[in-house]
Amino acid sequence: MYTILVISALFMIVPFLWMLSTSLKADQYVLTMPPQFFPRPLTLSSYVRLAELFPIGRMFFNSLLVATLTTLGQLVTCSMAAYAFARMRFKGSNALFLVYLATLMVPFQVTITPLFILMRYLGWTNTYQGLILPCVFSAFGTFLLRQFFLTIPRELEEAAFIDGASRWTVYWRIILPVSKPALASLGVLSFMGSWNAFLWPLLVVRDMDLMTLPVGLATLHGRWLTQWNLVMAGTVITVVPMLAVYLLAQQYFVRGVVLSGIKG
Amino acid sequence: MVGERGLGKLAWVLVFVSPSLVGLAVFSVIPILASLGLTLYEWDLLTPPHFVGLDNFQRLIHERNFWAALAHTLYFIVGYIPLVMVIALGVAVILNQKLRGVVLFRAVFFVPVVSAWVAVALLWKWIFNPKFGIVNYLLGLVGIHGPAWLFDPQWAMPAIIVTSVWKDIGFVMMMFLAGLQGIPAEYYDVAAIDGAGDWQRFRYITLPLLSPITFFALIISLINSFQVFDQVRIMTDGGPAGATSVLVEQIVKNAFDYSRMGYAAALSWALFLLIFTATVFQTRLQKHWVTYD
Amino acid sequence: MKKHLSVLPVGLLLLTLVMAACAPATTPTPVVVERTVEVERTVEVEKPVVVTATPESTELPEPVTITYFTFSAAPDHLEDLDEMIQIFEQAHPGIKIKVETASFGEYFTKLQTLIAGGTAPDVFELNYENFVSFAAKGVLLNLDSLAEADEAFDPAIFYPRAYGAFNFNGMQLGLPETFSTVLLFYNKDLFDQAGLSYPREDWTWEDAVAAAKELTDADAGVWGLHSGVQFWEFYKKAAQNGCSLFNEDKTEVTINAPECVEALETMVGFVTEDEVMPSDAEMGGMSDGDLFKAGKIAMDVTGIWMFAAFQDAPFEWDIQVEPGLKQHATHFFSNAVSVFAATEHPQEAWEWVKFFTSSPEMAQIRVASGWELPALDNPAFFEDYLSLSPPTNRAAVFKSLEHAIVPPVIERQAEMADDVNKLLDQVKLGQLTSQEALDQAKVQIEELMR
Repeated sequence: MYTILVISALFMIVPFLWMLSTSLKADQYVLTMPPQFFPRPLTLSSYVRLAELFPIGRMFFNSLLVATLTTLGQLVTCSMAAYAFARMRFKGSNALFLVYLATLMVPFQVTITPLFILMRYLGWTNTYQGLILPCVFSAFGTFLLRQFFLTIPRELEEAAFIDGASRWTVYWRIILPVSKPALASLGVLSFMGSWNAFLWPLLVVRDMDLMTLPVGLATLHGRWLTQWNLVMAGTVITVVPMLAVYLLAQQYFVRGVVLSGIKG
Repeated sequence: MVGERGLGKLAWVLVFVSPSLVGLAVFSVIPILASLGLTLYEWDLLTPPHFVGLDNFQRLIHERNFWAALAHTLYFIVGYIPLVMVIALGVAVILNQKLRGVVLFRAVFFVPVVSAWVAVALLWKWIFNPKFGIVNYLLGLVGIHGPAWLFDPQWAMPAIIVTSVWKDIGFVMMMFLAGLQGIPAEYYDVAAIDGAGDWQRFRYITLPLLSPITFFALIISLINSFQVFDQVRIMTDGGPAGATSVLVEQIVKNAFDYSRMGYAAALSWALFLLIFTATVFQTRLQKHWVTYD
Repeated sequence: MKKHLSVLPVGLLLLTLVMAACAPATTPTPVVVERTVEVERTVEVEKPVVVTATPESTELPEPVTITYFTFSAAPDHLEDLDEMIQIFEQAHPGIKIKVETASFGEYFTKLQTLIAGGTAPDVFELNYENFVSFAAKGVLLNLDSLAEADEAFDPAIFYPRAYGAFNFNGMQLGLPETFSTVLLFYNKDLFDQAGLSYPREDWTWEDAVAAAKELTDADAGVWGLHSGVQFWEFYKKAAQNGCSLFNEDKTEVTINAPECVEALETMVGFVTEDEVMPSDAEMGGMSDGDLFKAGKIAMDVTGIWMFAAFQDAPFEWDIQVEPGLKQHATHFFSNAVSVFAATEHPQEAWEWVKFFTSSPEMAQIRVASGWELPALDNPAFFEDYLSLSPPTNRAAVFKSLEHAIVPPVIERQAEMADDVNKLLDQVKLGQLTSQEALDQAKVQIEELMR
């Protein structure tokens, strides 16, 4: 059992190690065939060069700001809507939920142009709000949390209602705390979606000041030639914070302890 | 009614739903409806759109590229979904136990998910390299002469499927983990006391209680795989000889390379219909296997 | 244990923040570099006389900002561009240039969306194919009146072919920014080892294949030559064989004429019959440029944009005019800089476009930093260029121009290229014969032209 796990883990992580290794190679050793696993010589030149070519600090900050705010926005709005769909029976809730789902089914590559024009009307091109707001209201998050909320035993809420709690109190004090794993999942996925987002920031951002990491680093793909060690260095810089976020979220993947002691 | 004190029921619904609904309406629904309107026009983005009625749909039905892309997309879905769901579930169950270093393992499985397709695609191109790649090397050890993978029209899509499954396992696994965490330990304890074995506990406790999440994972994976694009563009660019051309690839090409945004919109809506039908079908089906509380 | 683990992610986060923050001088600050270039002839540069309308007030006008959108500057040449902008802004105190960049793969998606959204940049770069479609849609400013009003501007400064390429229906809709040619690059070391004499200007493909056969060494994984089987290469080889995709006035599609079929068979034959060229599978996803640089391809047909990439190749290499079939035919590619038709500042945009495409300062900076060749018909600028090495035979770049052909462009260009490429793929895979493929191509292209 353990060996299978270790082998599969290796299988998962080798690509990242390979990315790391390529990012530490000197220019002429990047594309040797067959590929070299351990870089000889080992050099940080790619990272230095990236810093020379791009305002990495600024891009990093922008990505972080946008991703954090988007994630917070999603967690709040999606959990509220999900609670309504999961626990409040109202006329048309199924139809409305289907509409939510439907918004996930239209490829964004076409809707992005009308959305861009909308941004223009609002005067939000080249602004932070233009980068963040369109991505906050996600049907994906609502769907995920709704499914999860549906699995929470009703007894928990009923006990609270009997004690005189309002909907909001139940939401805030019971549902949310119990849903830590799901919220953590959504948080991670939402952060990741925003962090790695490319097409939307590409269109919205005109100033270098607002540039996010993926868009800035995309220019490393030259028309004729790509410097893979630089691309990989950029990828490493982009991946490491995501892993940090994931590890941070790990502590919330705890079994619902609160369920013990409930009878009936 | 219990719990409705302070405000009427409808008011509560509004309170909870409106932030999300308003945002969705403005930022998703409006552009989507605009794209629906676009299907009746031809638009090259540079000059104003002009009305063509149902021409785009007519053309869609007759265009060879559309049907080919549809077939390839379905091929991808049929290969990808079962693999990713089953493997991710298996991994989630294994990693749901108190093993040593389980947190690290979970993180490791998630690494591919956060890695950009650019890097992942490059790496897998190496892995599938006909001459120097690991896959053909291993096949050679057992006496099989491996195919040209990404350069062979027959094997390019399977290679893309394998790569996609590898990348997304962590994503689906994470959702399953969250679901598994929500199953109270007591249920298992009680079942163990009653003499149920591992497999029975899995089949009669885990699976049913996990089913809402499984449903979610299935629907989301379905919706996403109908829209597969990034990996195709980077690994084969729709080749070789169009063998891996998929629907979203056709949409993007038409929208921006061929200056036919109206037709691209029509393609998008054809795709929407497909996804919608598949989803409704799954939703109807869920009463047979999904148990809510 | 939990405490331990939460240190790790926070630590990682901090580490990356520190890494990013400690990065040295991040914003590319424009640096004025003094370059000493020996210019032995006096180049006459007339101060441009800007004809402006008489201002209605005596107040100094607000500086006008011109946005310039480019795909060729980032990431390696932003500093060069900044240098040019500094020089320009000093000469034109009322104009500020704001640069926006995107990589080539996304550039046109973004440009089209910006135009559709009503926020088009004032000035932008275009390659030839996109120039034609943008020109046809009327989104490019007609520069004729601005050019005529400007006494300091003389179109003769450009290569006539380049200048003419961006004239559409009698209107000058862009100025040529750079040009490039496609040549035969060869690995001198491999030739020396095989005891062969280097490729000559009058070579035919027969000569090339003969040499390639000697150079191909299957055991060492070395191939004699590479010349891509794709749309652009195909119409060029067809032209070398005296065939073209259309007739003179594009009323007929002639892509499946016998000479064209022959040309395609020759191209594919390099792989299948002569066995001097690797198939796509054998290249394993590496580009021909990568393989040439790794010493695995002895002769590669590619463009002068690869000079910079090949600079540090671990062997001696040089270039030669591409071999011909019945005659020579070579590629001539050019990029233009155009002004958005509805720009609010046509005069200022013109000043920038003119400077950026034809000023001697720009030419010097470009040549010195290896940032593509300006399309100027003035040998003064190229003395330095020609004296650089490798490659030594840089004269071939210009000799190549003698046989340059124009790409066949129709309105639905991108679709035609994609359709033909797909058919060529099928020929490469052995699914179709050359004749079958080109017959189908004819049908498909006729559909596109309806």
